[in-house]
Amino acid sequence: MGINPVLLKELKVRMRGWRAAGIIALYLLVLTAVAVFIIYTVFTDPYTSSIDPQVSIGAYTGLAIIQFILIMFIVPALTAGAISGEREKQTLDLVLCTKLRPISIITGKLFASTSQTLLLIIASFPIFSMVFLFGGISIKEITQLFGFYMVTAVTIGSIGIFFSTHLKRTTASTVLTYGTLAFLAFGTIFIGVFYIRIFYQWDYEKFLPLLYSNPLAGFSSLLAEQFGYYGGINSFLGLSAGLGRNSNAVKAISPWLGNIIFDAVLSAVLLALSAARINPVRKGIFGFLRSGRRRKKASGN
Amino acid sequence: MLAIRNLNKRYGRFQAVSDLNLDISEGEIFGFVGPNGAGKTTTMKIICGLLRATSGEITLDGTDIIQNSKSIKEKIGYMPDFFGVYDDLKVSEYLEFYASIYNIKGQERKRITDDLLELVDLNSKREAYVDSLSRGMKQRLCLARSLVHNPRLLVLDEPASGMDPRARFEMKEILKNLKGMGKTIIISSHILSELAELCTSIGIIDQGRMVISGSNAEIMQQVYNKKVVKLKVTARLDDAVLILKEYPFVDKLVIGENTIQAGFKGGDGEMSRVLSGLISRGIPVVSFAQMDGNLEDVFMKVTRGEEEQWA
Ligand SMILES: Nc1ncnc2c1ncn2[C@@H]1O[C@H](COP(=O)(O)OP(=O)(O)O)[C@@H](O)[C@H]1O
Ligand SMILES: [Mg+2]
Repeated sequence: MGINPVLLKELKVRMRGWRAAGIIALYLLVLTAVAVFIIYTVFTDPYTSSIDPQVSIGAYTGLAIIQFILIMFIVPALTAGAISGEREKQTLDLVLCTKLRPISIITGKLFASTSQTLLLIIASFPIFSMVFLFGGISIKEITQLFGFYMVTAVTIGSIGIFFSTHLKRTTASTVLTYGTLAFLAFGTIFIGVFYIRIFYQWDYEKFLPLLYSNPLAGFSSLLAEQFGYYGGINSFLGLSAGLGRNSNAVKAISPWLGNIIFDAVLSAVLLALSAARINPVRKGIFGFLRSGRRRKKASGN
Repeated sequence: MLAIRNLNKRYGRFQAVSDLNLDISEGEIFGFVGPNGAGKTTTMKIICGLLRATSGEITLDGTDIIQNSKSIKEKIGYMPDFFGVYDDLKVSEYLEFYASIYNIKGQERKRITDDLLELVDLNSKREAYVDSLSRGMKQRLCLARSLVHNPRLLVLDEPASGMDPRARFEMKEILKNLKGMGKTIIISSHILSELAELCTSIGIIDQGRMVISGSNAEIMQQVYNKKVVKLKVTARLDDAVLILKEYPFVDKLVIGENTIQAGFKGGDGEMSRVLSGLISRGIPVVSFAQMDGNLEDVFMKVTRGEEEQWA
């Protein structure tokens, strides 16, 4: 079958012109600014010596967090219009009437946005390599980190594509994608905290499965596991980070691993649902619901 | 080649297509005519696998189109009535994208792109961005796109709609070319005369029902004769036919078991002369009625506006 034709076309269109270059430039600018700021702060801190590996761990952590946040903001923008945009532009039928399978259209769109994210991550590598200068960070940690980024990017991309196939408007799809992310990142924590506060339950373990769905929890537990409690992690979401090493919780798998498994399952389900949703001749309950919805927007031709 | 049996499509409770039957043979150019909202687009989308029928069966070369949708889609080329184009793609890249979907690569892809651009007369625009083209050019490009995989059946939904007379003429020339290439084509329009010279057969659809279908000549005659009378006799059918043929303004007869459908060029006066002629010569006529107004209504609708159009 060769490379997915939708992926190729999307890459061609996305990489064309100044927009793609602009995004990369802006992205690197933000990351560099953060790196410079962190290094400057650490160097001017009279309590740390400049050859301390703490410097590089601090810089690494700061960069990792900023990059993670950037990914959470960028991927929805790259995917939430994937299918709704085609509907709005009336180009979807032209692909659906070809022999291309719906799932190929979905994965083509997903991998296009994932590739674009991967490009940003790779482009950030030189900035990350600055932290090598100070020692304390190995290639293993960076590989783990970038791998986690990719899993997160695919998952967020799947969420964006899911909404973009199920909603007519790109704006609605974008809002719901960010909303879902906000829920996963903060809503789950709120639920956990409420649970603990209201019912005076202090057994973290019950709370842990919910945290598996939380990308921030997974991410901070990864960083925590890489460097223990150092690097300012415990002040950033110390609750979830601590769980990674909480002796009561060791029976369970660490949040970052749980998060990766959760992400894989969620992505597979969302992509399958998306493919079913754009298949015009599928059978069953979804088809029934859809014809009901179509009736409401009944319009000539 | 294409056979549609008892096709029904409901949108909720609204019946958009009712019990539609249609047979199209290889090489035929079938004109699908009906006023707006008649169900043409719905039927065509179902043929192309873009919409699920409520009931009914469609086969292409004897193969069910739902069960074998992938192989069927390789045989069908579809041009929708409304469509968009990707901005940020050049004309040649646009065609190459659709060709790549069908695994057409390298030299062959280039050759096909060249041929198609030649066919739709867009050679000079191959490096232009698709969204910079005029509407007529986009429509031609979309037609070329529907041809990349060399389909045997083309389904064209109002390909000339919204075009100015010149663009319309160019589109017609291209379609004649395709006809010459031996493609089987289903083409829709809400104006009958637009398809007159192109089609080999015509079906007229109204409110989801196929009102009449047949060869181009048959349909044109029925439509433009305006009056069709259906008469029923209890005996002497052959004599009745002979008498009818004596009148110069009776120009077409469709003979059934004990019924005759007669096309009239004239008005009410002629009709009553025929009736009294039949009775005075002893033919046992039991009914003599102008055919249902429904058909005439449709004819009025699909022929409306022709004067403006071709003036
Ligand atoms: N998605 C839809 N939902 C509800 N009604 C529809 C839908 N699409 C078409 N219709 C209705 O079905 C009828 C047939 O439409 P269509 O097939 O587009 O007609 P045509 O192409 O002949 O103009 C129209 O009355 C139209 O309003
Ligand atoms: Mg239509």
